[in-house]
Amino acid sequence: MTAAAPTVPGVRPFGLARADFLKLRKRRGLFWTTTVLIVGPQVVAYGILAILHAANPGHHGPAGGIENLGHGLSVLALVGSIGAIIAGASAGADDLSSGVFRELVVTGRSRLALFGSRVPGGLAFVLSFAFVAYAIAAVVSMTANGELPAPSLTLVLESGLWVFAELAFYFLLGLGVASLIGSKAYTIGILLAWRTAVSHILVSISALGVYRDMFPDVPFDRLAPGAVEEFVRDVPRVSISLAAAVLVLVLWVAIATALGAWRTATRDV
Amino acid sequence: MAEGDYVVETQGLTKRFGKRTVVRGVELQVPRGVAFGYLGPNGAGKTTLIRMLLGLTRPNAGTMSLRGLPVPKRRAEALSRVGAIVEEPRFHGHLTGRENLAIVAAARERETFTRIPAALERVGLVHRSDDRVRTYSMGMRQRLGIARCLMADPELLILDEPMNGLDPAGILEFRQLVRALVDEGRTVMLSSHILDEVEKTCDYVAIVDRGEIVAMGPIAELQGEGQPRVLVGVDETAKALEILSGAPGVTDVSSENGVIQATLADIDVVPELNRRLVEAGIPVRRLEPMRASLEERFLAITSRLEDTE
Repeated sequence: MTAAAPTVPGVRPFGLARADFLKLRKRRGLFWTTTVLIVGPQVVAYGILAILHAANPGHHGPAGGIENLGHGLSVLALVGSIGAIIAGASAGADDLSSGVFRELVVTGRSRLALFGSRVPGGLAFVLSFAFVAYAIAAVVSMTANGELPAPSLTLVLESGLWVFAELAFYFLLGLGVASLIGSKAYTIGILLAWRTAVSHILVSISALGVYRDMFPDVPFDRLAPGAVEEFVRDVPRVSISLAAAVLVLVLWVAIATALGAWRTATRDV
Repeated sequence: MAEGDYVVETQGLTKRFGKRTVVRGVELQVPRGVAFGYLGPNGAGKTTLIRMLLGLTRPNAGTMSLRGLPVPKRRAEALSRVGAIVEEPRFHGHLTGRENLAIVAAARERETFTRIPAALERVGLVHRSDDRVRTYSMGMRQRLGIARCLMADPELLILDEPMNGLDPAGILEFRQLVRALVDEGRTVMLSSHILDEVEKTCDYVAIVDRGEIVAMGPIAELQGEGQPRVLVGVDETAKALEILSGAPGVTDVSSENGVIQATLADIDVVPELNRRLVEAGIPVRRLEPMRASLEERFLAITSRLEDTE
């Protein structure tokens, strides 16, 4: 090792994103929590349905079919999004709380690049669990439908995109908020309350009128594939256009990540 | 020393937290290829200065450059060959030592990955590199922190209180490592409040007090500043004291445990003192110059500052 003239470093492609993925994957508590919250409910729900059907086929229908796909995705979207929030909070705050963020900053790498790498790294982590959970729902729905109508391939694919979008949304929300406030615990507390109670209450207040469209549950219900929409509905029906639904979700993510990026770039460490 | 020979240079660097000024107009020049001690008591602003140099916090005023490159303007380029430990090295405890190095290597140039094995080898952590860092001792974490610095193939290492938490053997090992790094042509800038360690490890020093640099230069020069002193060993202490106190060029004289300490206006008067004692019939058993320690210089400087307040 010798001293040399100043050079601009050429970095390994996706090196930081892979590092962020590694940090999340090797955190055992997070790994098992995410498994339990995203994959676990699918295993339990479809397992119980299959056992009930096998025990009493006359009284309990098969585990597959369109309706059960809707219920399965509904559970995945609700419970899985909590797993995604926890993963997002971890991706956003762990470097800071452990002090490693400082060690990364002194490499000279831009703080925005350090923030930006958390997005692909964390999404790869969350969506790998989501894919396993979705695969269970898709396979069971299409193969264990008995006499019930099986979902079409299009419906299965659309359902997959919808549930991936919802989990990715809550991951990014968790990442943005955790990067903004710098605390994993507070982020999880705030977003858990929002996801499970506050947003539902606000959407139920009809006096809020069209402003309810701004809460993420409404656009996500609007974006749900038609055949499963009534089974995955999270909140009372509120009319919103497709474009507005997409715009609302994009704005939420853009604002949360922009605030997280800004704080990451300006924070004293 | 010509401009450009400094690997760290600051002009009027100032940092305030609210109404409190922590770093006050610091003009620092760290020559290349030396071990440079940034010495001061706790709360003198050492860590804050280092944090500004590394882009961890922004100064309120002043300019700075690392490796001849202005920061923050060319910060990425400047820091690409800088290794640093601020306060204590931090890691993800759930990852192994090797994985922690890989995470930081991902933020640097791609060749950094290839330097991980050599860095672990150099700090003697190869056998524990696949263990989780949460099982490491304080000393091992310090060594892993050094390995992380070495991955950058650094021209400059900035180490903040690097000897904190090290046992005597670890301190000795660390001192040898610093000297070895300097011998390779690298510059090591370390901050410390332990005068003795800076004196033993560094070639240059800046003494900082209350956010200001109060003295800076080669340690040997700083030690040599002030009035020279000699130790005189004789059998007849009282008589010798009387002769020396009346001799020209002696500004102060005292004795302790039978050894006389004389402070001189000029070291050249020593032969004359010897002659006077011998002519008075006092055999001189010992006559040696006293080397001022950095600690004495430091205390002299800081007490002078207190006197002026």
